[in-house]
Amino acid sequence: MLEVINASFSYKRLDVFKNINFRVNEGEVFCIVGPNGCGKTTLLDCLLGILSLKQGEILLNKRNIKIISPAETAKQLAYVPQLHEKTFPYSVIDIVLMGRAAHIGLFSAPSPRDVAIAEEVLELVGLTSFKDRPYTQLSGGEAQLVLLARALAQKTKIIIMDEPTAHLDFKNELTVLETIVQLVNNTGLSIIMATHFPNHAFYFENNSIDISVALMSRMTFSAVGSPSEVLSEDNLKSIYSINARVVSHRMDNDSELRQIIPISTVA
Amino acid sequence: MPDQYTSIVWEIRMPRAILGALVGGALAISGAAFQGIFRNPLVSSGILGVSSGAGFGAALAILLFNSTSYTYVFAFFFGGLAVLASYLIGRVYSSTTPAIMLVLGGVIVSSVFSALISFAKYVADPYNQLPTIVYWLMGSLATARYHDIAVGGIPMAVGISGLIAIRWRVNVLSMGDKEARSLGIDTVVNKGIIIACATLATAGAVCVSGIIGWVGLVMPHIGRMLVGNDNKVLIPASLSLGACFLIFVDNLGRLITGSEIPLGILTALVGGPFFVYLLKKTKGGGW
Repeated sequence: MLEVINASFSYKRLDVFKNINFRVNEGEVFCIVGPNGCGKTTLLDCLLGILSLKQGEILLNKRNIKIISPAETAKQLAYVPQLHEKTFPYSVIDIVLMGRAAHIGLFSAPSPRDVAIAEEVLELVGLTSFKDRPYTQLSGGEAQLVLLARALAQKTKIIIMDEPTAHLDFKNELTVLETIVQLVNNTGLSIIMATHFPNHAFYFENNSIDISVALMSRMTFSAVGSPSEVLSEDNLKSIYSINARVVSHRMDNDSELRQIIPISTVA
Repeated sequence: MPDQYTSIVWEIRMPRAILGALVGGALAISGAAFQGIFRNPLVSSGILGVSSGAGFGAALAILLFNSTSYTYVFAFFFGGLAVLASYLIGRVYSSTTPAIMLVLGGVIVSSVFSALISFAKYVADPYNQLPTIVYWLMGSLATARYHDIAVGGIPMAVGISGLIAIRWRVNVLSMGDKEARSLGIDTVVNKGIIIACATLATAGAVCVSGIIGWVGLVMPHIGRMLVGNDNKVLIPASLSLGACFLIFVDNLGRLITGSEIPLGILTALVGGPFFVYLLKKTKGGGW
């Protein structure tokens, strides 16, 4: 569905990343993990068509993203931003309706059909009762789910997420993860996500989601594969410069949930 | 009814009321649109320099021709020029926050034109031109006739219609460029249309009425308290609030003293307390 071939990007003379290759198939979760400033967000911006690659190409359903209009891209690729500063206290339903923008003409407003879709996705994330609440008064987790609902309203096959659980407490974090698992299982959605929590990859793996992890460091993907093979103690040491243990917890259903425990920085 | 009453109502009061409604509506609707696309509730219709540009144009026309007959053309032209200059400054280099660069461009252009206005006042003949300039800058509808509606009404009507048509997009643009783009909107084209419409409306208003502050900043907020933040409803609400408010204040200015009080003074004097009253009454509408 989405294929990245030999992608490089630089701001003026400053190289951000190069030689990045990957593909994401239907129903797959692709996690990009790496230290601060390794270029994860820049890579996502390129996937969204906000920045243009210096070299290489990004193919969205076999078409180069460069020649696809913003409206056309938004019908195939949705974006869930990091929690952001909220300017105007729009109601929750108004925010979700913005997900329909690509389907609404320049001089039109949302139709009853758009409203029906917005209500349907709000139900999917379990926020129907929040419909008329001001978005500025929601908790971090609720607001993140509203942004997820907005992306779902775009009715795309792929959703790109930038740190979907940043600033969330344990419960809100799990709510977001559970919602993602449910969506991938029920609708065959594909998700590309940048995260600072490699443990999420183990969470998805444990919920038998088709998942790949890419470790991003020194301007490229240093390893791509399943969480168990990529998120090793050695790899964590090499990309984050930390000593870490990967431990395993036996769950009630007899599966193993792996988790990373960061121990110390490498001197 | 005596003839002079008929002619007062139809030839003096009527054009003045129509023009007041158009000017108030144009300023308020542009303010609402700008607050949305700049994601900043503190900007007003003059944020990109249209008012100072128009003020300088008017002052220049008064200086050059020693009359007010060319003020329309000069005010309109320089108002538009100021916004164009702000827009170009905003694009000097491609920033990751183009909206802030644009507002910064507006601040620079406004201060340059304010300095030029001061210079025009400084060199003006103090008995004749200077009072004309000062009075023009305070804003007034006192000389409104039907031909003013013909002159200023066309750009105002075009700008207002454009903003009404595109109003829902303001919601999406207020999420910021990156999100708006990812939601499928060509932000450069959409913002360009909105800035062009708001500039036409404001320049049309300023060239016939002078500089009237406050309306473009505060009417959108009063609208938010009454109808909420959805621009689909807020933008038409701002239009009608601005129109009603300016007719009301203009009448007040005409009636409370023997001579007229300039509009620019009264809009703030009347609007301020009313705004505080609404804040208390509606608890601010979600801020």
